[in-house]
Amino acid sequence: MSRTLSRRRLGGLLSHAYVWFCLLMFVLPFIALLNYSFTGPQGNYALENFKYVFGSFGSNLVWSFKISGLTLVLNLLVSLPAAYALVRYPFPGKRFLFSGLTLPLYVPGAVLGIALVLTYNFTYRLTTSMWGLVLAMTVGTFPLMLTPLVVALKDLPIVFEEAAQCLGATRWQAYWRVVFPLIGPGISAGLLLSFIIVFNEYLVTLFVHPTFITTAPLRVFGLVRTAGLLPTTAALAVTMQLISFVAVIAFFRIFGTRYLKGTYLI
Amino acid sequence: MARVRLLSVTKHFGQALAVDDFSLDVAEGELVTLLGPSGCGKTTTLRMIAGLVEPGAGRIYFDDQEVTYLPPHARNIGFVFQTPALFPHLSVAHNIAFGLSVKGGKKEAMQRRVDEMLALIELSGYGERLPAQLSGGQQQRVALARVLATDPRVLLFDEPLSALDRNLRDTLKYSILDLQRKTRKTAIYVTHDQSEAFAISDRIVVMNAGHIEQIGTQTDIYLRPATPFVAEFIGANNSLAGEVIRVDGQGDEAFVVVSAGRLSLRCKGHPYGQFKAGDPVLAYVRPENIAVLGDSLGGGYDNVVEGVIDRMIFEGATAQLRVDVGGLEFRADVSGGQRLTLIERQGRVRLGFNDVTLIPAPDR
Repeated sequence: MSRTLSRRRLGGLLSHAYVWFCLLMFVLPFIALLNYSFTGPQGNYALENFKYVFGSFGSNLVWSFKISGLTLVLNLLVSLPAAYALVRYPFPGKRFLFSGLTLPLYVPGAVLGIALVLTYNFTYRLTTSMWGLVLAMTVGTFPLMLTPLVVALKDLPIVFEEAAQCLGATRWQAYWRVVFPLIGPGISAGLLLSFIIVFNEYLVTLFVHPTFITTAPLRVFGLVRTAGLLPTTAALAVTMQLISFVAVIAFFRIFGTRYLKGTYLI
Repeated sequence: MARVRLLSVTKHFGQALAVDDFSLDVAEGELVTLLGPSGCGKTTTLRMIAGLVEPGAGRIYFDDQEVTYLPPHARNIGFVFQTPALFPHLSVAHNIAFGLSVKGGKKEAMQRRVDEMLALIELSGYGERLPAQLSGGQQQRVALARVLATDPRVLLFDEPLSALDRNLRDTLKYSILDLQRKTRKTAIYVTHDQSEAFAISDRIVVMNAGHIEQIGTQTDIYLRPATPFVAEFIGANNSLAGEVIRVDGQGDEAFVVVSAGRLSLRCKGHPYGQFKAGDPVLAYVRPENIAVLGDSLGGGYDNVVEGVIDRMIFEGATAQLRVDVGGLEFRADVSGGQRLTLIERQGRVRLGFNDVTLIPAPDR
């Protein structure tokens, strides 16, 4: 009896140790980065690097936010009708089309970048405008937005739309008042996934960014390449990481409690 | 409140014929039930009246307005679905106000209407709750209030009670009937449940394989089924295939003599005047119209047959007696004290019955 108990306790201890070990392996690089980002010029601890982030690197962060925001809006505007059509209307080759639409997920960033540069060469203004970059980001993250929307719509019984229409709502009213709120979890999941990718994207941006735009990831790589790894660059990287963290936590705070409980499946 | 007319409405889904040449005239304030087995086209018919499905051919009128191709939101109807389909993100009050709010209703007016509706379904004080916090029966009542709030011209019900348990079904079907009577709305009600249809309908439309078999009151379709399908679908029936031998007598006193297997049946009643010798017919005898006779003579019965008791199925209030009469199985329903005495009984028994329904056999 006591033998089995101690063996069980040992197993418990080992599995705990394993989990902590894994966690440490994941977190360690980030802790090193965090530590480095607080290193002052004389090797002391200082917050000055972060002042630098919001001063000199501020414009880079603004560009990142701007590109991300525009991409999310554009992506949502394209994906919502696409997902609705895919789920609600029967047409031949639907499955094939959906697989095709999710293709950008499996295309390496460099390939996508080269392909877009080649394409943009025919439309010379896109290469030198912000919209070219936004468009590239939208293409890259379209499947990430589309898939959660398709899943959410598939889970939503059509009877809610029909009930709304029978109560006097036009198709648009039924859509905005009933369908849109009820696929909220899918929308927010798509927004979150796309944001994380776009905000941190380096490779595709490198290919298609116009010269006047330098996003935060681009700046980090650029600085590391030209000046080596400075504490100020580390501070910018930490800031980017924190923004992504905050986005994820906010997502689960807001939608994890209110929406994700599947209230409409009654 | 409106009169609803369907003229030769037809609908195909791909190659399959869902509704075939369906014509019906529902009077103002009437409650008509579409009754039939699953897949008979009753729900498709209802959805065409609602505008959720477009007919392939035919016309639909509300009063004198043609609505055949009008979208649902322009028809001013109230549709109650199988599931309550309350909008889960809206409170009960907002659900009830939905129909008014999409038409741009005023806030105070909507609040008043919501309170009125909550009182009507006896759920006053539940307005702030979310649908998930209500029971299934309460949800379906809210769904009813939600459609009544818009003061629709026509109420449409698509098996609204099928998802509920039995006791709830019984109480709720009478609430639906009461509300329909109180509001004097024209209503079309789809169900596959005969007892539900019999309990609430003014008229019943029996449907099968996309077409109408019979339209009539409860007594019409039960006592005077027009087709073999109706005779067999509504209630239980003993069905005997036979042929008319001859017609005895004249007028109300006429007897049609039918041979079925080794039996010879005498069937009374003037509706059968149209039969003549040699006609193939189907004869139907309701189990509850068959008396199990004692050893005394079967005086007073037009037909007396003798058979061997096959088995006895005790069902509580009634019991089914299965009797083998010369190779034909007869079912007789007995009630009262007789069902207890018959439990022990075996061997031969004599059955007496008068009412036989004759229907011309369909062409093969």
